[in-house]
Amino acid sequence: MRIPCPYCGVRGVDEFSYLGDATLVRPDASVPNAEAAFADYVYLRDNPAGRHRELWQHAVGCQSWLVVTRDTRTHAIEQVEAARDIAAARASGAE
Amino acid sequence: MAEPLVARSAFRPHVAPLASPTGVAGVTLREAEGLTLASVAAFRGREAELADAVRAAYGIELPAGPKRVASGDVAFVGAGPGKWLAVSSGATDFAGLPAAVADQSDGRTVVRVSGPRARETLATLTAIDLHPRAFGVGDAALTHAASISIHLWQVVDAPTYEIAVFRTFAATFWRWMVEAAQSRGVEARHGG
Amino acid sequence: MSQPNRLASGGLIDRATPLAFTFDGRGYTGHPGDTLASALLANGVTLVGRSFKYHRPRGILTAGSEEPNALVELRTGARREPNVKATVAELYDGLEARSQNRFPSLSFDLLAVNQLASPVFVAGFYYKTFMWPAKLWEKLYEPLIRRAAGLGRAAEAADPDAYEKTTAHCDVLVIGGGPAGLSAALAAGRAGARVILADDDSVLGGRLLSDRLAVGEGSAAQWAASAAAELASLPDVTVLTRASVVGAYDGGVYGALERVSDHRATPLPHQPRQRFWRIVAKRCVLAAGALERPIPFGNNDTPGVMLAGAVRSYLNRFGVAPGKRAVVYANNDDAAKTVLDLTAAGCEIAAVVDASGDAPALAAAARSAGAPLIFGGAVVRAYGGQSVKGCAIADSRGRSFNVACDLVAVSGGWNPSIQIATHLGGRPVWDSPRSAFLPGSPPPGMDVAGAASGAFELAEAFAEGGRLGTEAAQECGYTAAPFDAPQTEPETDAVHGHGPWKPKTSRGKAFVDFQNDVTVKDVELAAREGFKSVEHLKRYTTLGMATDQGKTANVVGLALMAEITGRSIPDTGTTLTRPPFTPVAIGALGGAHRHKEFRPTRLPPSHFWAEEQGAAFVETGLWMRAAYFPRAGEADWLETTIREVNTVRTAVGVYDASTLGKIDVQGADAGVFLDRVYINGFSTMPVGKARYGVMLREDGFAMDDGTVARLSPTHYYVTTSTAHAAQAMRHLEYCRQWLWPELDVHLASITDQWAKYAIAGPRSRDVVTALVDDADVSDAGLPYLGVKEVTVGGGVKARLFRLSFSGEMAYELAVPARYGDATIRAIIAAGEPFGICPYGAEALAVMRIEKGHAAAAELNGTTTAFDLGLGGMMSKKKDYVGRVMAERGALTDPARPRLVGFKPVDRSARLRGGAHFIPREATPTADNDQGYMTSVAYSPSNGCWVGLGFLANGPERIGEIVRAVDPVRDGDVEVEVVAPVFVDPEGVRVRG
Repeated sequence: MRIPCPYCGVRGVDEFSYLGDATLVRPDASVPNAEAAFADYVYLRDNPAGRHRELWQHAVGCQSWLVVTRDTRTHAIEQVEAARDIAAARASGAE
Repeated sequence: MAEPLVARSAFRPHVAPLASPTGVAGVTLREAEGLTLASVAAFRGREAELADAVRAAYGIELPAGPKRVASGDVAFVGAGPGKWLAVSSGATDFAGLPAAVADQSDGRTVVRVSGPRARETLATLTAIDLHPRAFGVGDAALTHAASISIHLWQVVDAPTYEIAVFRTFAATFWRWMVEAAQSRGVEARHGG
Repeated sequence: MSQPNRLASGGLIDRATPLAFTFDGRGYTGHPGDTLASALLANGVTLVGRSFKYHRPRGILTAGSEEPNALVELRTGARREPNVKATVAELYDGLEARSQNRFPSLSFDLLAVNQLASPVFVAGFYYKTFMWPAKLWEKLYEPLIRRAAGLGRAAEAADPDAYEKTTAHCDVLVIGGGPAGLSAALAAGRAGARVILADDDSVLGGRLLSDRLAVGEGSAAQWAASAAAELASLPDVTVLTRASVVGAYDGGVYGALERVSDHRATPLPHQPRQRFWRIVAKRCVLAAGALERPIPFGNNDTPGVMLAGAVRSYLNRFGVAPGKRAVVYANNDDAAKTVLDLTAAGCEIAAVVDASGDAPALAAAARSAGAPLIFGGAVVRAYGGQSVKGCAIADSRGRSFNVACDLVAVSGGWNPSIQIATHLGGRPVWDSPRSAFLPGSPPPGMDVAGAASGAFELAEAFAEGGRLGTEAAQECGYTAAPFDAPQTEPETDAVHGHGPWKPKTSRGKAFVDFQNDVTVKDVELAAREGFKSVEHLKRYTTLGMATDQGKTANVVGLALMAEITGRSIPDTGTTLTRPPFTPVAIGALGGAHRHKEFRPTRLPPSHFWAEEQGAAFVETGLWMRAAYFPRAGEADWLETTIREVNTVRTAVGVYDASTLGKIDVQGADAGVFLDRVYINGFSTMPVGKARYGVMLREDGFAMDDGTVARLSPTHYYVTTSTAHAAQAMRHLEYCRQWLWPELDVHLASITDQWAKYAIAGPRSRDVVTALVDDADVSDAGLPYLGVKEVTVGGGVKARLFRLSFSGEMAYELAVPARYGDATIRAIIAAGEPFGICPYGAEALAVMRIEKGHAAAAELNGTTTAFDLGLGGMMSKKKDYVGRVMAERGALTDPARPRLVGFKPVDRSARLRGGAHFIPREATPTADNDQGYMTSVAYSPSNGCWVGLGFLANGPERIGEIVRAVDPVRDGDVEVEVVAPVFVDPEGVRVRG
C-alpha cells in the first residue's frame, strides 16, 4: 500500500504507523458519566468492511498524524488529510 | 582547571575511511563537517512573523513543502508542516528567531553523497524516486534508509545529495552506504 | 562423440565455446546459451531426477520456470542449492549439478518401492494413516516421513554470498520480454516514458526465440535482438533480464527477483548473488505469455514425455533434438509447429495423435510429415521406465496399438500466465473459445497483453502489446505514437485445447501434478470422497501446492474434476495464487541487512571510550550500552557489578545516560500541554527545576516515566525511558496534533544532540566542581531537582541537572554530543582523585532496584500508577490522558497486585525475576497466584538478593512471608514482603 502524505507526497506503507478509527472524539472528562463515555472511546471499535476513516502517522517522515479515508476491502485510498487540520476544525466548530 | 574539550566526528573511529580501489569512484561519500543545524518550528499564529524574520535575516523565503531554499551559507529545509531544519556552513546562531528553535548541530550528522552512481546506490537504501524528473536541486525528503530515519536533499544537479541522519545512527548508516556502494566503486572520507 | 543430440546447426548458442559441467559426477560439455536442461538433453541425458512421493524416474517436461520435474542440486558446499530447475539454470563452465531425492543412485533408487505401496500413498494418506497410536507420531512417523519425503538438501554452512534490495520507480512496468512485452516497452519507451522491462530469461524474446517464424525482414529471433538493442539505447528504459516479477502488491508496487550472479560459479567481487527489486509503477503491462498444459495418460511422467512447445524450444533455441522418433499428442493446432519443426530437424514422426478430432493444422502437419494421424485418438500409456521406448495409442474406436518412439510431445493447450494479475484477488474468468482462464479484474493500473490475455497469435500479441504500451505512456502524460507492429506470417494454427482430460484407460499412473505426485486417480478419489470444490481438491490432494504452484497442473486438475463431476469448468472454479510467482530465497528479501546488520545499532557518545575500557556491552533496543566494566582479577559480571555499586555508594561513579529519550518542548502552552499528558503538574513548576513524571495511556495504564525540567517559562526539557522513547514521542505528537491542536507547543527530538553523563555518589559534587568552568554547584547553587546551564571544558555549553536514579547525590551533565567522547575522559580525569569508576547498565539496575524505582519491567503495560505506588502523584485538579480510566474502581482496588519489595527468608537464596507469588501453605496453581516478581538483583548494600514485584494487597502485607515460585526453573523460595526501598529509605543522600 502507498499513502499520499499531504506534506511529503506518496510513500510506501512502511513509513507509516497505524492507530485506528479517526471518527472517535475524546470525551469531556468533566461530565458526570465520563467513565462510560471513556470506556466506549477506549475500547469500542467498529470494524467496517469498506470505507473507513483511520488515523495514521507518517512516523518515518514528517511526523504528521493523518486521517486516511480507505476502503478496507481493496486498500484503495480515497483521501488523506492532516489530522491537525481536522482536529482544529472540530475544535473551532465545537466552540 | 578543565582542559578544552575536543570535538569528535560521529564516524570516528567506528568506521574506517575508504579510498576507491580503481581511482574512478562511482559514488563519493563525504562527511559535511562544521555545520550549524537547528530545528525551527513556527509558533502558533506567528507563522508570518517567522517568515519575515527569516527573509530579513537571511534573504530566504521559507519553503511551504519539502524543499530546500538556500542563500549564502544558510539554507532552510522543509521538515514537516510548519517545521524546518536550518542549516548553515558557518557559525550562524538561529536561536534568535521568533520560533521554537532547538540546536541540532550535534543531533544530526550530514553526509554528502555524489557521483554518477549515487542514485543507483541510494536506491538500495531508500525508496525515494531520485530520477531527475522527479527530484532535483531544491527538493528534500524525510524518509528512511533501510530502517534509519534520514532527511535528504539535493544540492547539485550532477547529482550531489546531503543526507542528515541522527548522530547515534551515523556509524551504521555510513557502513551501509559503503556496503551498498562497494560494487559501484566508492570513495569515502569522514572527519576525525 | 560428445553432445550426440546436438543438431548440426541452428540455435542461439555459442558453439565455438565449450563449457564443461558435471551431472552426478560425470563430465559433459555444453555451450554458452545452454541451460542445464538443454545441455543434458544434448548429451543424451534424459533421466534427471526422482519424484517427491513415489521416487519415480523423471526427466525434463518444459523449457522454462514452470518445470515440475527437472529439479537438481546445484553447486557444492556452502553454495549448494536444492530444487534448482534445470530448465532455467544457465550453464557456466565448471557447473556441478546432482540429481536429488534418490538413494543410492538416480538409476537405482530404493525408495522407488514406494510406488509398489502406492495404493496406500493416495491422496489423504497422511490424514488417514499415522492416526493411531498418536504417541508414535513424534518418535516414529514423523522422522520416517521426513526421511522419505522432501526435495533436496539445503546447504549446511552459512550462505557466503551477498544480496541486495533496491527500489525502482517507473511510468510503465512491462512484465515479460516476448512479442507483446517488447512491443509494449518499445511503444512506451519511444514516447519517452520511464519503462522497466523485466523478463526471467537471460535473453529477451520469449517465444520469438523458440518458434521458427518470420517477423519483419528476418527471423523472429532477429527481430527480438533488434528490439532489445533499441530498448538498451533508450535512456529512460531499464531492461532487467534474469529478473522474475514475483508479485503484485497494493498501490502499483511489484516485487522482482533478479538473479545477478546465478549464471556464474561465484559472484564477481562485491556483486550480490541476487537482487530483490521493489518496483513502483504507475502502469503495468503484464505480458507474461502462456504456459502449455499436458494431457494426462498412463506413465506420462516417463522421461522423454515433453510438452510440445518445449520440444520446439530445444530444437530451435538450443539446437538440440530431444528425441529421434516422436509421437505428437495434442488436442489443438498449435502442436502442428512441433511436428513441422521436428521434421525439419531430421526427426522422425512416429505418429500424430489428435485428441480433439478438430485440429486441421495438426492433421495437415501430420500429412506433410508423412506420419500416421490418429484422429480422435489418445495416447493411453507410455512405456520404457527410465526413458520412453514407446507408447500405447488408442484410436477413436478404442482399438489400441503400440508405437515405438523415444519422445512424446504433448500439448493440452495453453494457459495464459495470469498469476500476477490475480495477486490482489481478481478472479480469473474461463474463456470457452480459447479454453483458458483469462484475467478477470487485474490490479488497478495493470493491463494484460499477448498470450497472457489470450492473444495467442503472434500478430495479435505484437498489436496488443504495442497498443497497451502506447496507452500506458499516454496515461502517464506522454505523447505516444501508435505502435507500428512488424509484419508476421499468419498463424492459422490457433490454440484452443478443449479436453479431453480423463485418460481412456487406467493402466499406469497418469500424473496431473508432477511435482507433488498427484494423479488422475487422486482427483477421482477426492471427487468420490466429496472434496469437489477446487479449494478442497487442492488441500486434499496437494494439487498445485508444490513449489511450482501447479503451473502445469492446476487447470488440468480442475478440468478433470469438472469432467468427473459433470460440471463445467467455470462452475468448478479455480484457485487464486499468491506471491511469489517463483520461489524467492529469504536471503534476497533480507538483502544486505542480516546478522549484525539486520537492524541499525545506535552508539552512545562514550562507546569508543567504553570499548577501550574493555566494557561488556548489552543491546537495549537498538542501543549498544555498556553493561559493566570488568577489571583484572574480577571473576564474573556479578563481582564487577558489586564493585561498581559499592564505588558509587561510597565514592563516585559515572554512567552514560545518553540513551534516555530527550525531547525539547517549547511554546506558550508547553506547560499546559505537559499537564495534560502527565499525571502530575508542570505548568506551576518554577524555571530551573526538574521533576519526575508519569504518563498514562488513555486506558489508565502507565506508559512511561521520566523527568521534566523547566528551562524557561515556555521551554521544557523532557526525558523518557530508553525503551519507550519512540513510543513516547509518537504519543506526544498525537496529543499535540490530534487531541489539542489549539495549543501552541512544539516538540523536537534532541536525544542525539546531547551526550549525558550521570555522575553519582557522595563525591559527585567534587567531580562536578572540578569539571565546570565556573559555576556554583553547591546545594545552594544547584539544589536537588535543580537544573542550570553551565559551561565545561573552556566554554562548551552544557546543561547540569541535580537528578538521581541511583539514590546517591548525583548530577546529570549534558554536553553537545561531539564533545561526548572528550567529556567522559574529562570526567574520569576529574574524578580520579575521588576514586571514580565508570559503571554500566548492570550496576544501574542494581541501584534502581535498591531504591525501588520502576523501570521497563515494572512499566510493562499492565500496571497503573496506583499499582506502582505513585497514586499520590495523580492530580485531582486537572484532566490528563488516562485519568478517567485510571480512576475506575477495579484499577484502584487495593487487592490489585501492587509494587512491594522482597527479600529471601534464607538470605543466601537467589531470587528470580518472573517468579509468581503463592501463599506459604497453598499449592502453586494459577488459582493461588497473587502476583509476580518483576526485577531482582544482588544488593551489595543488603548483602542478599532483593526483588521488586507486584503482590495483591502488597503494601498492606509488609512483613508477611510468601513463596516465590518459578516452575520454569524449579525455583521455590520463601520471601519476606518489605517496603520497595532497600537503601536510604528516608532519601537523605540525594540531597547531599
